[in-house]
Amino acid sequence: MPHFFFNKKLILLLVGMIFLVALISFSLRDRTNATLPEQIIKDTVGFAQSIVAKPANYVTGIFNNIDSLLNTYEENKRLKARLEDFAVVQAEATDLKSQNQKLQDLLDKKDSLREFDPIHATVIARNPDQWEEKIILNRGSSHGVKTNMAVMTAQGLIGKIILVTPFTSEVELLYTNNPNYRVSAMVLGEKEAYGLIEGFDKERNELIMKRINASLTVKKGEQVISSGLGGIFPKGVPIGEITEVSTDDYGLTKMVYVKPSADFSILEHVVIAKRSSITIDGSDGDATNQDLTNPQKADEEETN
Amino acid sequence: MVRFLIPTVAVLLFLLEPELAMLSPIEIHGDIYYLVPRFLILYLIFISIYYSRQRAVMYGLFFGVLYDVFYIDIIGLYSVLYPLVCFVAGSIVKVIHQHLVVTTSVSVILVAILEFILYQFFYLIDFTTIPLAVFLQSRLLPTIIANALFLMILGWAFRYLIHARVLQRAREVS
Repeated sequence: MPHFFFNKKLILLLVGMIFLVALISFSLRDRTNATLPEQIIKDTVGFAQSIVAKPANYVTGIFNNIDSLLNTYEENKRLKARLEDFAVVQAEATDLKSQNQKLQDLLDKKDSLREFDPIHATVIARNPDQWEEKIILNRGSSHGVKTNMAVMTAQGLIGKIILVTPFTSEVELLYTNNPNYRVSAMVLGEKEAYGLIEGFDKERNELIMKRINASLTVKKGEQVISSGLGGIFPKGVPIGEITEVSTDDYGLTKMVYVKPSADFSILEHVVIAKRSSITIDGSDGDATNQDLTNPQKADEEETN
Repeated sequence: MVRFLIPTVAVLLFLLEPELAMLSPIEIHGDIYYLVPRFLILYLIFISIYYSRQRAVMYGLFFGVLYDVFYIDIIGLYSVLYPLVCFVAGSIVKVIHQHLVVTTSVSVILVAILEFILYQFFYLIDFTTIPLAVFLQSRLLPTIIANALFLMILGWAFRYLIHARVLQRAREVS
């Protein structure tokens, strides 16, 4: 009965297709939590990956060293020029820091958007097909990592945590196509200008910062840092430098191109920033609508 | 020994891919080129051609699921494409000559097709917005070149390993 078997195969194929589409659409939803089997697979593969990552990082380290050796002369010249300024700047910074501390003590202001607890992590893998810009770190919820925490290198912000399993976490890098990916940032000019980092220009390889008040002047070469007003990231993490100023599509606000200060191509050691002050509870947070500013009151309300 | 060597190599390649991906993208004269390592699927295609199609499809399914869950977070993409590519490779082998040059080119072409299907899929779900011409120039071409180079260097080793396993199995049967 060959005809019958053919039909059976066809039905199997159809059922398989439906199952596949269901599976893809299930996993395409915006998920912040991995299901249990996913967590198990992620942690197991992550463990194996972190073993392989160590020698691999060592080898890339050697290549980096060779690369930097070749640039030594140029770099040395540049650094020497900067060194003289550096001593002055450092003295000024220590002075300002102590002054700031004294003033804060005077005001009895303890919470600062700037403060964060660093969690050091190693990059164990990068999404090999590079369609989505993601990296995977060897620290997870058992080390205190939560979704939406900022991830940075010594040079600057690189992304935020989007998914956490007990022993690994996934970072979505700043240059992503995701339209919902926004970072509240500010330009350090004569007057601070606030805006949002929204999107990435693939051709220029630069970030786009939008929604800057048109009455404020921002100039090429000015520094852009995170403002901490998004409610999740700490304040003062460097993001980049302005390379071009223009107006946005409607001409109402200013838009600038920002060259990221962090080097995205080779990432090895990163810092996950756990913000010390209260993080907000909006759609990016837990979305529980709790009053986080008055924790006791909120608890009372809950018990009532 | 040889029995376990085939899956071990597959696991190693699977774990090596993301490490090599960290070296990409590279910048040459201001243009950015993405090199996507596809070593595992090349190896699986070789298994499919020289050893057993069924076995290759099984490996493809297993590693496809791992790939989906660990890297992509879209379950059902690689877990279908990997076995499918292995299946097609195993079917093609019946009509072609099993010379190393021929199998190498077939593998590279299959990887290019795989890459193209992935581009179409990601374009469909808005993960990427790059136009086709840019994709061909900055992704497909460098990826093909890199993977072809890899296969030219290590293809004979894959074949040697798989042949050893086939011979061993023949001896076990007899």
